[in-house]
Amino acid sequence: MSGTLGVLALLILLTLGVPIGVAMGLVGMVGLAILLGPEPAIVKSGVVLFETILRYELGVLPLFLLMAHLCFSAGASRDFFDAAARMIGHRRGGLALASIAGCAGFGAVSGSSLATAATIGLIGLPEMKKRGYSDALATGSIAAGGTLGSIIPPSGALIVFGILAEQSIGKLFTAAIIPGITQALFYMITIVLLCRWRPSIAPTAQRASWAERRAALLRITDVAGLIVLVLAGIALGWFTPTEAASVGAVGSLALCAWRRTLNRKTLVDALAQTLRTTGMIYVVIIGALIFSVFMSVTGLASQVESLMASVGGGQLTAVIVMTVLLLLLGSVLDGLALMLLTTPILLPIIVNLGLSPIWFGIYLIRTMEIGFVHPPIGINLYVIQGIAQDTPLVRIFKGVVPFLAADFLHLSLLIAVPALALALPAWLGQ
Amino acid sequence: MGDVNPQERGGASARGPLFYIGAAGLLLAMAVEAVSVLGRHVGIPLLGAIEIIQAAILLIATAAMVSTTISQAHARVTLLTDRIGPTAQAVLKRFSAFLSILFFTGLAAGALSLAMDTWNEYEQSELLHIPFRPLRAISFLATAAIAVLFLRELFQRTGERR
Repeated sequence: MSGTLGVLALLILLTLGVPIGVAMGLVGMVGLAILLGPEPAIVKSGVVLFETILRYELGVLPLFLLMAHLCFSAGASRDFFDAAARMIGHRRGGLALASIAGCAGFGAVSGSSLATAATIGLIGLPEMKKRGYSDALATGSIAAGGTLGSIIPPSGALIVFGILAEQSIGKLFTAAIIPGITQALFYMITIVLLCRWRPSIAPTAQRASWAERRAALLRITDVAGLIVLVLAGIALGWFTPTEAASVGAVGSLALCAWRRTLNRKTLVDALAQTLRTTGMIYVVIIGALIFSVFMSVTGLASQVESLMASVGGGQLTAVIVMTVLLLLLGSVLDGLALMLLTTPILLPIIVNLGLSPIWFGIYLIRTMEIGFVHPPIGINLYVIQGIAQDTPLVRIFKGVVPFLAADFLHLSLLIAVPALALALPAWLGQ
Repeated sequence: MGDVNPQERGGASARGPLFYIGAAGLLLAMAVEAVSVLGRHVGIPLLGAIEIIQAAILLIATAAMVSTTISQAHARVTLLTDRIGPTAQAVLKRFSAFLSILFFTGLAAGALSLAMDTWNEYEQSELLHIPFRPLRAISFLATAAIAVLFLRELFQRTGERR
């Protein structure tokens, strides 16, 4: 009962616009004070605070953010799109395909869905408009492609999940590689099918010369090399995720210097942006951890588990029920809040069902991503509308529908074949 | 999450002592970890690297949380608040500031209580003997400062920004 009331109170506070970390932490603190007494609640909150801000593993977060901001300053965002556009932009739907590839490449740098959609949108939308692409296809492909930022490692969402669920961040990064790539492929197949069905929505264009293609590819080799080094280093056990993040940050500093974009302003801007985002995420993590302690004391997870067991049907039914619940909650909560709220409740159930917490992390983030592009929240859609102001929101919603279908298909595949996420870490002996 | 929204990049404003503390912590953590990786791969491990990084992370986290509060950049769900009038928005903002004061005061009380309990135990890290006393003091001061910042927000007049 106390657990359910806590969740309800949290949902109300979140809806009223209370900062996510504050809402979670306060509900957790008050809940613990009611269940255990005020003094243990205050002391436990103090312990969570100190342990979190002293936690070595969390160093991965500001360092990867710094790497992202420095890569952004080096102009990496435009380069990924440009390279893909030069290679395949002349084909029917080529620029939409290039947007997906650009999102995948920049998503690996930024680790954020919103940032990926905004950045590639600023570059890709005017290009597609100029070439006569349908506004629905153009906006839909970038809104959907932006979600790749949350899953393609290194990703902020995976780091937060890893901390909250006490799972290896390196293993989560490795597990996300195949789902990230297959998700991008699903989007590309969707674009190809749409263009075959209605060729007029994406006209062909003049092919870029091989010299232009080579030049565009050369421009991304340094950033792509850095990303590969960081990810391969984690996957092959050369570095821990925190070490990889520092190697990435040092590499991106070197990259800015190499590209002659490193100056005082660039560095100060990157550091200031990194600190601002870091502070926001730390408050959220501290709040979520206090809420998580409260949830474990209430035993809500076992009650939900018993409820699910009463439905019967085993693992698959439980996962389907969870998916429906997550998609419904994803309609009213933003992705981060959804992940923070549901992880402490659903993770123990997943473990008791004999499913892998690593798989659950990927599945949860995949479900969360769908919330980024479906109404009424669909934050990526609003970001895209902010860029393509002459395109009505209804057209953007229409454009994203085929990609949502691809999302559901991909999510079903992830549920039916957990090896999609678990095979690579197992193969690499993680 | 890792918000690199290009439309916001001009808005980075923190340039005071907090910025320099956080930035110094960030650069220190980056440099120490990179040297440690290099050292390990060439056979000269940097002893105590993790302890230095932990202390740097504490500086980064506390400076960053205070900076985020000053910039009013905490993550919120805006489904309702974006769709209501300015008066209702102002009321909810004050309500939210009030709850934030309660939360951060609770955290500060917890941090203070732990600092007082362990003050005479002379806690320190294993290899480099970095004392925990100042770290605990910083965690208390940061959360107390955030509570005060929210208190200021609570009494701010409508429409006034810092």
